[in-house]
Amino acid sequence: MVEQPAQDAAVKRRRERSLAWEFRHLIPMVAIAISAIAIWELIFRSGVWGFLFPGPSQVARALVDFWNSTRLVRAIVATLRRLAVGFLISLVLGALLAFLMVRFTTFGKGIQPYILGLQIFPSIAWVPLSLIWFGFSETTLLFVTIIGSVFGVSISFADALRTVPPVYLQAARNMGSDGMDLILRVTVPAALPHLISAAKVGWSFAWRSLIGAEIIFATVGLGFLLNASASVPDIAGVMGVMLVILVIGIVVDQLAFTKTQEWASRRRGLRPRR
Amino acid sequence: MKGADLKLVMLGKRFGGNAGQTEALRDVNLEIRGGEFVTIVGPSGCGKSTLLSLVAGLEEPTTGWVAMDGHRVHGPGADRIVVFQDAALFPWLDVTGNVEFGLRVAGVPRKDRQQRVLEHLEMVQLEKFAHARVHELSGGMKQRVALARALVLRPRVLLMDEPFAALDVQIREEMQSVVQDLWVRSGTTTLFVTHDVREAAVLGDRIVVLSHRPGTVSAILENGARRPRTLNDVGVAEAIRRSNEILKAEVQWSSNQPKMQL
Repeated sequence: MVEQPAQDAAVKRRRERSLAWEFRHLIPMVAIAISAIAIWELIFRSGVWGFLFPGPSQVARALVDFWNSTRLVRAIVATLRRLAVGFLISLVLGALLAFLMVRFTTFGKGIQPYILGLQIFPSIAWVPLSLIWFGFSETTLLFVTIIGSVFGVSISFADALRTVPPVYLQAARNMGSDGMDLILRVTVPAALPHLISAAKVGWSFAWRSLIGAEIIFATVGLGFLLNASASVPDIAGVMGVMLVILVIGIVVDQLAFTKTQEWASRRRGLRPRR
Repeated sequence: MKGADLKLVMLGKRFGGNAGQTEALRDVNLEIRGGEFVTIVGPSGCGKSTLLSLVAGLEEPTTGWVAMDGHRVHGPGADRIVVFQDAALFPWLDVTGNVEFGLRVAGVPRKDRQQRVLEHLEMVQLEKFAHARVHELSGGMKQRVALARALVLRPRVLLMDEPFAALDVQIREEMQSVVQDLWVRSGTTTLFVTHDVREAAVLGDRIVVLSHRPGTVSAILENGARRPRTLNDVGVAEAIRRSNEILKAEVQWSSNQPKMQL
């Protein structure tokens, strides 16, 4: 009788703890964000750069203004749509190129240095040529996004495909799998964790290329908003948009890639890294 | 289905490379009756695994050929299934997914597939682990799954490439009796490669002793010990003694031999 309530309390406490437990890995992340904002506020209050260095509250106000005027939403939607289309095309083309590189070894060896070179080639340097080719258009922005990421994607896809242990392919061929069947049934699932990492590399290339191209020219988008704020100059606005670009990067990385990678690793008994 | 007759004729394999060629096998002649259990024993690097790859069609021979029921073998086929040393199960599939892999490739309808998978999981006593993931299995269990994955395809020839080499002694002996049972039930022709003479003597109707590189047939021993066998049977002990004699002669003959288990 006496023990009953105590037990209930214990159960309740355990349940509460388990909820907090779920998000415990976020605690260091949140702590860092709070400290960064605190340091930012301190530098702002010291006034060393005067009006050139707005504080967190001013940046937040600028973001609220952007939001209320719907400029921020439209910019985010436009940029993310370009990113999605460009990155998807780049994944498809990159996968194709990677497949050819792995399937035809001599071709792969011959082309690898050039693809590496093109991967290092600054994507912004494609902008003048694509402006001549496609004019001030969506096509130019997509082209730069694709060309800026497709080589990184193909190199890392090819590396991922090369990690597949030959014994899996032998076993599958032995059981009658061949050609496209073998690729879809064995090569791709066997390489999946590495393929996800490769896609992650590719998306960061696409993201950087797109924002860069948008800064040079665009009539809507985060890069454009950044440039437009700078020419006012609305310093708090510039910093606000930069913050949005940073946060989108973190969110996409965590949700789209880190999570799927953990899932793929856990399925085969590998300990996920947090 | 009865196991297939196998005929290996003047079989040879060289591996090319910039550093020069290595000859793995030379002029191997071997006739295996349908349903026979033949073990192949020899020192490491004697081309035992290469021999299996050639029969499986995963490698093409440099000289000679392999014939199954009188027909020359070209390329891999689900009628000759290999059980690999490290099981080579697919970690992205669960146990059922692994066992039904070949059936899916062959386009067997779902219902038949389910029934055959269950039947074979029962044969290796893993029906409780149908949905376990590969990383959750022990080494012996992995090889049981690999056996189920092979036998579910009703192969005419079963090729086993040192399947128990990495297992503990107790598990290895248990697996040896599992293999004998399954062989009796399926009646499939079995070629079993091992570097362990005792294992070769327990399992084989005949024991083929291969020489060191290039692998050639040194001797073929008839092993008439009655089944089911264990290591302590008189007939098995006799086969072990005779195999060891031949292998020791091999070892003395080539001085730079890697260590082997006698």
